[in-house]
Amino acid sequence: MYRLFLAIRYLLTRPINLLGVAGITISVWALVVVVSLFSGFIDIIERHVHAASADIVVSDLPSWTSWPKLRSALADEGNVAGCSPRLLHYGLLLRPGHRPPPTPLPGRGALHGGDQPFLFVLGIDPIAEATVTGFADWVAHTDIPADLRGSTPTLATEDGVPTVLIGLDRMRREGLRRGDRVVLTTANQRSDANGNKSAEKVQIQLVVAGAFKTAHNGFDGNTVFVADATLRARLFPDAPDFVQEVAVRCHDETQLKATADRLQRAVVRAVEKNQAAYGSVETWREKNGMFLASVEHQRGLLQIVLIVIMVVAAFLMLATLSMMVTEKTSDIGILTAMGGTPSGVTMVFLACGLVITLVGVVVGTIGGILTGVYLEEVRQGVRWLTGIDLFPIDVYNLERVPCAIDPWWLVQVAGMAFVTGGLVSAIPALRAARHDPLVSLRGI
Amino acid sequence: MSSPVLQAVAVKKHYRLAKHEIPVLRGIDLSVQAGETVALLGASGAGKSTLLHVLGLLDPPTAGEVHFDGQRVDNLTIGQRAALRHRHVGFVFQFYHLIPELTALQNVLLARMMTTSVWQFWRQRKQAKAAATALLEQVGLGDRLRHRPSELSGGERQRVAIARALLAEPKVVLADEPTGNLDSTTARGVVDLIFEIQRQRGLAFLLVTHDERLAQRCHRIVRMQDGVVVS
Ligand SMILES: Nc1ncnc2c1ncn2[C@@H]1O[C@H](COP(=O)(O)OP(=O)(O)OP(=O)(O)O)[C@@H](O)[C@H]1O
Ligand SMILES: [Mg+2]
Repeated sequence: MYRLFLAIRYLLTRPINLLGVAGITISVWALVVVVSLFSGFIDIIERHVHAASADIVVSDLPSWTSWPKLRSALADEGNVAGCSPRLLHYGLLLRPGHRPPPTPLPGRGALHGGDQPFLFVLGIDPIAEATVTGFADWVAHTDIPADLRGSTPTLATEDGVPTVLIGLDRMRREGLRRGDRVVLTTANQRSDANGNKSAEKVQIQLVVAGAFKTAHNGFDGNTVFVADATLRARLFPDAPDFVQEVAVRCHDETQLKATADRLQRAVVRAVEKNQAAYGSVETWREKNGMFLASVEHQRGLLQIVLIVIMVVAAFLMLATLSMMVTEKTSDIGILTAMGGTPSGVTMVFLACGLVITLVGVVVGTIGGILTGVYLEEVRQGVRWLTGIDLFPIDVYNLERVPCAIDPWWLVQVAGMAFVTGGLVSAIPALRAARHDPLVSLRGI
Repeated sequence: MSSPVLQAVAVKKHYRLAKHEIPVLRGIDLSVQAGETVALLGASGAGKSTLLHVLGLLDPPTAGEVHFDGQRVDNLTIGQRAALRHRHVGFVFQFYHLIPELTALQNVLLARMMTTSVWQFWRQRKQAKAAATALLEQVGLGDRLRHRPSELSGGERQRVAIARALLAEPKVVLADEPTGNLDSTTARGVVDLIFEIQRQRGLAFLLVTHDERLAQRCHRIVRMQDGVVVS
């Protein structure tokens, strides 16, 4: 009992120790808030990315792929609820006469939803696509104003000219309207009679049919939809059964990984040629793995930075505790005389460090949780006071600053604080332990 | 015959400085009976403080034995010796050794906290507080409970130290020049207090002093010279 009591009295009579408390509090607070913000952000991004993806995508299909054969192979898998064939090409989408291509918006790479002039052109069957992804919702999104809404039936030709659906934000930025003419410039590979391959420029005239919008800006900005017939007519006129990609929807979303593994084997069997394996099957998470991992990677980096701050805070505590031990070694003698063991008495100084850490962890955690819960209000308050927007939520299609407080992370933070706090206060405690109690009892 | 509460049997204590063995106690035999007051006199450097530390189990003897109530105790473990120190002996020092961060009352209460857990202390806090207050009242500091040592005079500080030594109700009090730092009037007050408490509680007192008059008031005087008892 005396250790805790003395530790508290020692600390209360030395306000300088508030430095240590403040250091631990701030680092715990920052670890809780920043990591919770990032975790919430990652959750939302995953939800958005998933909302803009099929559950499973079959890609890298070889040129001899036959859709009827592949479809029956996929349909044999019990968890498959539906599939949609796609052609996938790349190209520049420009208004006639427009050149050079528009530059990406400053400071916004493709990763964060910024637009590249180079686009993914998805050739789809709108009816099949709507059974597999949220395509029907994307073209009917409530944010799309009436004059930008696609005409029905979706992606039907207008006056014999094939149509294209463009992401809402991109359309607005480039000032496109429904009915505008655009040119898709792309290339195709040709083999001549000798088997020499060469690239051939292909230009497809299109009419803007309307806009679409998913929750994932990175997808919207870099993808346009055309009817599969549009691409097939110009790029693969001799291959009516060919598909490049298949979007798959599953009944049970918790089994995606296992389903993808089974489908991988089925696809390899269906398109196999000369004993070589073709085709790759990925879940939406794997397909966007780089993007998702990059955000998690940022969270990891911040964690490291903040843990370093915690160590710095612990050293602040070391400084104040060391000063205290120097002053208080004189008490070791009398405490020993009163019935403490010499080593037990030095634990008083360890207790000091742990009390500082405890207060810091409790205040920091409570403050961190409160800040996390009211993060949106904090953001608005800061913006109102300083004009600085800490987290541009509209870039990510959010209503509030996201925040996911993970209890396990709170435990980890507290654990880290106690380990560093304990290690750091052990240093002055060990110094006190080397002090001979008799020296102070003899006076001087 | 009842065994003495405190006994030194052929106690020797050497300090090693660099390569030299410095004999400080050279074979001390001393026993203190229950309720007895013994004055320990001797020139500076005779080894009085060292003997007190050895008898109080703060410093292990190089040779010889220390007995409490007839039991040998110098060979116990550190923890056992600490517990015995707490129960069996109270210390009073020349320089008070109060803890400056604590009030008079807290300084006394600390003696109760030494061996109890937080939970145990919490359950008996009222009773402990009452006991400490009663002791402080007995030493004449009933109106100084919340004063810090820095707000007390030397004599008052020594009274707090005496109250602290008594809280655990030891059988022996070892006092090392308890009045060495006080003027003669204050010293007399403290000494009167010590003898009064001694009579009331039937404590054994071993009192190190340079003051012949004070020594005369004790039951017995032991004189030391160069690490041996001379009379
Ligand atoms: N840690 C130590 N190392 C070496 N020598 C020591 C140590 N402690 C005490 N001594 C020596 O032991 C001798 C006795 O010291 P002690 O303090 O017991 O004397 P004392 O009788 O109490 O004297 P005083 O009346 O001045 O208090 C002294 O000569 C001192 O130098
Ligand atoms: Mg002495």
